[in-house]
Amino acid sequence: MARVLIERRIDWYGIFFAALLTLVIVFPLIVVGTWAFTNVWRFPSVIPQEFGIKYWQMTLARADVWSSITLSLSLSTVVTLLSALICLPAAYAFARLDFPGRNILFFSFLAGHAFPKFGLLVAIAGIFLQLNLIGTFWGVVLIQLVGTLLFMIWIPVAAFQAVDRRMEEAARDVGASPMRVFWSITLPQAGPTIAAAILLSFVGTFYETEGAWLIGAPQIRTLPVLMISFINNQPVIQFGAVLSVLLWVPSFIALLFARRVISSGSFARGFGA
Amino acid sequence: MSLTPANDIVGKNNGRGLTGLLLVAIPVFLVGWMIIWPIISAIGRTIWLPNEGGGRSFSLETYGFFFTDQYSLNNLGVTLWTTGVCAVLLVLICLPIALYLRFAKGRLAAYVQGLAIFPMFVPSIILSYAIIRVLGPNGTVDLLLNAMHLPKIRSPYLTPWGPVIGLVWDNIPLTVLILLSGLGNVSNQSIEAARDVGAGRLAVLWHIILPRISNSILVAVSFTVLGIFSAFTLPYVLGPAAPEMMGPFMQRTFRDLNDPTNAITQAVIAFCFCIVFGLFYVRSVAKNRSA
Repeated sequence: MARVLIERRIDWYGIFFAALLTLVIVFPLIVVGTWAFTNVWRFPSVIPQEFGIKYWQMTLARADVWSSITLSLSLSTVVTLLSALICLPAAYAFARLDFPGRNILFFSFLAGHAFPKFGLLVAIAGIFLQLNLIGTFWGVVLIQLVGTLLFMIWIPVAAFQAVDRRMEEAARDVGASPMRVFWSITLPQAGPTIAAAILLSFVGTFYETEGAWLIGAPQIRTLPVLMISFINNQPVIQFGAVLSVLLWVPSFIALLFARRVISSGSFARGFGA
Repeated sequence: MSLTPANDIVGKNNGRGLTGLLLVAIPVFLVGWMIIWPIISAIGRTIWLPNEGGGRSFSLETYGFFFTDQYSLNNLGVTLWTTGVCAVLLVLICLPIALYLRFAKGRLAAYVQGLAIFPMFVPSIILSYAIIRVLGPNGTVDLLLNAMHLPKIRSPYLTPWGPVIGLVWDNIPLTVLILLSGLGNVSNQSIEAARDVGAGRLAVLWHIILPRISNSILVAVSFTVLGIFSAFTLPYVLGPAAPEMMGPFMQRTFRDLNDPTNAITQAVIAFCFCIVFGLFYVRSVAKNRSA
């Protein structure tokens, strides 16, 4: 009897989906990873003829790779800092203060997601053209900053609203000042979610390709933009593979820290589900 | 996503209204200047064209050109085709995964969920590169087929199917998350009740589950359409040079042909095709908030 029960509970659907998704999602990335550590891999052989890190040295010796890495890191840092500076106080205001037009203004941040993104970028580029912002660092900063607004306001608003008001009131009752309450009660509770939002916007900005390509290229060459030109014009396959592995590092860090926020339902609800 | 009703949180302090407005002023200004204004200006600039007299006058010339130019129409056609095929494929692929995840428990389900969300952490430029290495000419699939003495595949790279494969891959996580969140509203009791009166799996799916998640399916489709209609990176790298999708087409018109007026016309046309999905998306987020 017991054996029959256990056999009936084999999760065939699960095995099917796990195998299929492993093949479709993990396999292509393993291929790229293999290429990055390959010195020689000519056509008919199923596995590389020679493994090695020869191309890591060659890729990292290229001036265009280094300048793109520095540019991408400084762009993402500037955009994330500016975004935190303007969005976090706004998020606190949306969560805790009342002011005229609060609801309408809160939902106005959805506007950027209600239009096809590249069309919007072209419309913005039309305005930047008149302001001479095309091909400049600050033009790209502005366009990427707008891309972070929704996340950097909506996720922290949810975080501030989730803070237990009774604890704040209790602290006030025993004589803590409003600033003290904010630092000792509100921030520690809202902190992890806000940190995840900041991390997501850093990583999102790091990978932002379309704005950088339309507004910045060819003067502003971020890492993803450089990757496009490697794919289009670079006959040495390994350069692209090494760059892919390098490019993926921030994503890996985000994966480690942000999984909790993303698997919780609030993330999908942010998209209107 | 919701805001706490204002009367719960407000002190009776009147000065707070101004403080609140000041705190939100910069992000709201950015939305106005970088989203609302470009859209209004885009429409204005494409229907008030410069005339010989040096001023501007009303004209639909650029729109007339787009809808009579066979090349533009082909690009629009391939964009609509790609968007439609991707939306259908995404629902067909993600609905079974979401259904499985809704009812399964344990480590295998956690693994499947982890994999389904994983593409969110793979930037589309790495994805493009991976697809070229795997499905491109002499890619890994060709290597494996060759080793088994089978003929090579007809590579989807640089055909309209290249962007389709990439865009579906890229959009799996959000579609699964949105559908899964919708399935969270289907109670176990309603399914058990239907089972008790003898409904089969398909009947439960058709009569109990699908009606309850139809809104989530529409949200997922809207999100997909908005994302794919003007996708740039994947079609630019993986797609054919002609016909090209609206994203690369707009980019080429704007930068390479240096013709912003026609590029913005193409953008406005893209807005018009997506307006229904955009409005539906905003409406369902707003409705979700009041629930």
